[in-house]
Amino acid sequence: MIITNIETVPGKTIVEHFGLVSGSTIRAKHIGRDIMASLKNLVGGELKGYTQLLQESRNQAIDRMTEHARQMGANAIVNVRFSTSSIAQGAAELYAYGTAVRVR
Amino acid sequence: MKYTPRQPESNVNVTPTSHLREFFVLAGGLLGLIVAVYLMLGLAVDLMVPHISIDLENKIGVHFFQSVDGKDADPQREYYVQSLMDDLQERCAKLPYRFKIHVREASTVNAMALPGGHVIVFTGLLDKVSSENELAFVLAHEMGHYAHRDHLRAGGRAVVLMTFSALLFGADSSVSTVLGHTLNITELSFSRKQETQADEFALETINCAYGHVGGATDFFEKIPKEQDPGKFGHYFASHPENRRRISHLNNIIRSRGFNPAKRKPLPEAIWNSIP
Amino acid sequence: MYDLLIFLTLIAAGYSVGTLLEKRHYRSIHKREKAFLYLPAVTMKTVDYPEEKIRSAELVYGSVVISIDYFKKILAGLRNIFGGTVKSYESLVDRARREALLRMKEMAGDATVIVNVRIETSTISRKANQEGVGCLEAIAYGTALTLEK
Repeated sequence: MIITNIETVPGKTIVEHFGLVSGSTIRAKHIGRDIMASLKNLVGGELKGYTQLLQESRNQAIDRMTEHARQMGANAIVNVRFSTSSIAQGAAELYAYGTAVRVR
Repeated sequence: MKYTPRQPESNVNVTPTSHLREFFVLAGGLLGLIVAVYLMLGLAVDLMVPHISIDLENKIGVHFFQSVDGKDADPQREYYVQSLMDDLQERCAKLPYRFKIHVREASTVNAMALPGGHVIVFTGLLDKVSSENELAFVLAHEMGHYAHRDHLRAGGRAVVLMTFSALLFGADSSVSTVLGHTLNITELSFSRKQETQADEFALETINCAYGHVGGATDFFEKIPKEQDPGKFGHYFASHPENRRRISHLNNIIRSRGFNPAKRKPLPEAIWNSIP
Repeated sequence: MYDLLIFLTLIAAGYSVGTLLEKRHYRSIHKREKAFLYLPAVTMKTVDYPEEKIRSAELVYGSVVISIDYFKKILAGLRNIFGGTVKSYESLVDRARREALLRMKEMAGDATVIVNVRIETSTISRKANQEGVGCLEAIAYGTALTLEK
């Protein structure tokens, strides 16, 4: 599966499109990480635990979007966008969406 | 570029799962966590309680006392109970507290030992007792809790646990509220061992005060007739079942050679003036 | 004890009614998605139609505010302690987005294609980020192109 966030897949032509595909996942971090992060909040700096967690979640969202596109019969997703929002206290939602296409 | 309308076979964004099962697994896990924390807190509080000075306790006691709402009712009986308590303390149970009796209007057959020497006695209890010895036993029982500082252990755990749950889930979260209520129910009561120890203390005290232990078991013998102990709320729920308790007291009376004798009646003038 | 009883009743009611409503909503979503299958919505800015054939271009949008049920909210609260995927919220955001997309398509009417679609979600509650009402808004918007027959 080719995934881009531009209009096309360079070097290939889009022959067919299937509409919007999306993948989302919602993750919560456990209480221990929350406490550690609030301590880190005092001094600032990267919250490694959170970065890693969000990265994992985003990968899962991409996986789900890819699965969605595969079920439609596509072999590429173009113009992909990400969005992150906090749905509930302490839980983050990662969302990826794009257009499923078939390229040649 | 042509458009091919197609729908996916499955919904990739929703995990096919049983929410009910997840709920029970997580709730069970949380329960386990709470039990573990509770046990750990118990150890910590037990270590801490002997080091809390009476002075500090009196300061904390004010807050606890204020949280129990209600007005002092029945000054006559309150004065009588207070003098009975003072007499017991002066002659037989030398405890470093200044006890203050508060009589509260309520049908509950109950008495409470709050930090700082505040003893709350409900009129429901006063209406039930029929002799001075019987009332003295109940008061001495509460003094027993003070002697072993059980009230601090019970209160201490409650305070630390509530703080902990507020930290964990946020003070106004729904989980925390529910947890707070369930914790309150369990925290207001003493353990069976603490009750038994207080009973033993009370027995020693009234034997010293009256020279005999007549009336010691009277109060407990009344209870099963009046009401099912299970419905009594926290006081009797955790106070050892009355049968067991009476036989335990009788065993001590026999083995220590205490003398069960005549009861001293309550002052008629005060008790009968109540409408 | 009384409070616990109320709490359990709320959970049971939330679970049974919430599940029922969700099933019904999904049925309606499936039906309408099938009906609107002819109208593609894509994230691309351009689709290779000759410019002189495009009769009109118009901004279309659809939004929905949807709430979580009590059972799932409590479940998410529990999940928050242990960490991991909050599965109970997945169907909520999925329903919200698909509903918003459908409403956008309904607004587009007899257009040929909707381009440059964007989807956004936000929580609207008393205190942002805090335990509040437990609902979210999804909005989908794009440009509907209508081609000459």
